[in-house]
Amino acid sequence: MTGAGRVVRSPVGGTVTALADVPDPVFSQAMVGPGIAVQPRGGHADAVAPIDGTLTTVHAHAFVVAGDDGAAVLVHLGIDTVKQHGEGFTLHVVKGERVRAGQPVVGWDPDAVLAAGYAPVVPVIALDAQQESLQPAPSGSPVEAGDELFSWGG
Amino acid sequence: MADERAGRILAALGGADNVVEIEGCITRLRCELEDGSVVDEAALKQAGAHGVMKAGSVVQVVVGPEADTIAEDIQDLL
Repeated sequence: MTGAGRVVRSPVGGTVTALADVPDPVFSQAMVGPGIAVQPRGGHADAVAPIDGTLTTVHAHAFVVAGDDGAAVLVHLGIDTVKQHGEGFTLHVVKGERVRAGQPVVGWDPDAVLAAGYAPVVPVIALDAQQESLQPAPSGSPVEAGDELFSWGG
Repeated sequence: MADERAGRILAALGGADNVVEIEGCITRLRCELEDGSVVDEAALKQAGAHGVMKAGSVVQVVVGPEADTIAEDIQDLL
């Protein structure tokens, strides 16, 4: 393997947060893969695609983008937000659509998620990846939507 | 085989009669059961589950990114 690896971009603006601090064992124990989370800043915003690829799974509150090599990144907008049944989330895409990194995927408002009683933190997961293949941005650093969040492989 | 995995997971959840509702959510199956105490965690893990979280009658089975497909397969068996 050579080169810098795949750049995975932040779906939201906010503060980089360790996955271990996400209040959901599926993510904090990296059951479906390693990654990092972003504590989003409040206010309505669009969550953007983290990589170029195809949307293989689309829910109002979460989506998966798979690159052409099969490597897939999961973005989950808040914890337990499936219980909101899409309320407050506006999808801009459909399953199977091709997206570019940085393209808006879902409009949402972290403040509304918080007001509904859920944690708005956004885990970004490299599905089925090895922990040591990721080079994440340091926890606590500010990030904008579309900024590099971690590199994968390389 | 996907169908076989769905059947094994369903059996480990106590069978179709024990399932009130099952829903795929990206990486996990969210299951509402009649009786959460009959869940066979070892069998779920043998069927490919990464983890199992129980809270009374609500059981979450972490199966990875194919959760939505597996949930549909299980729905077909109910």
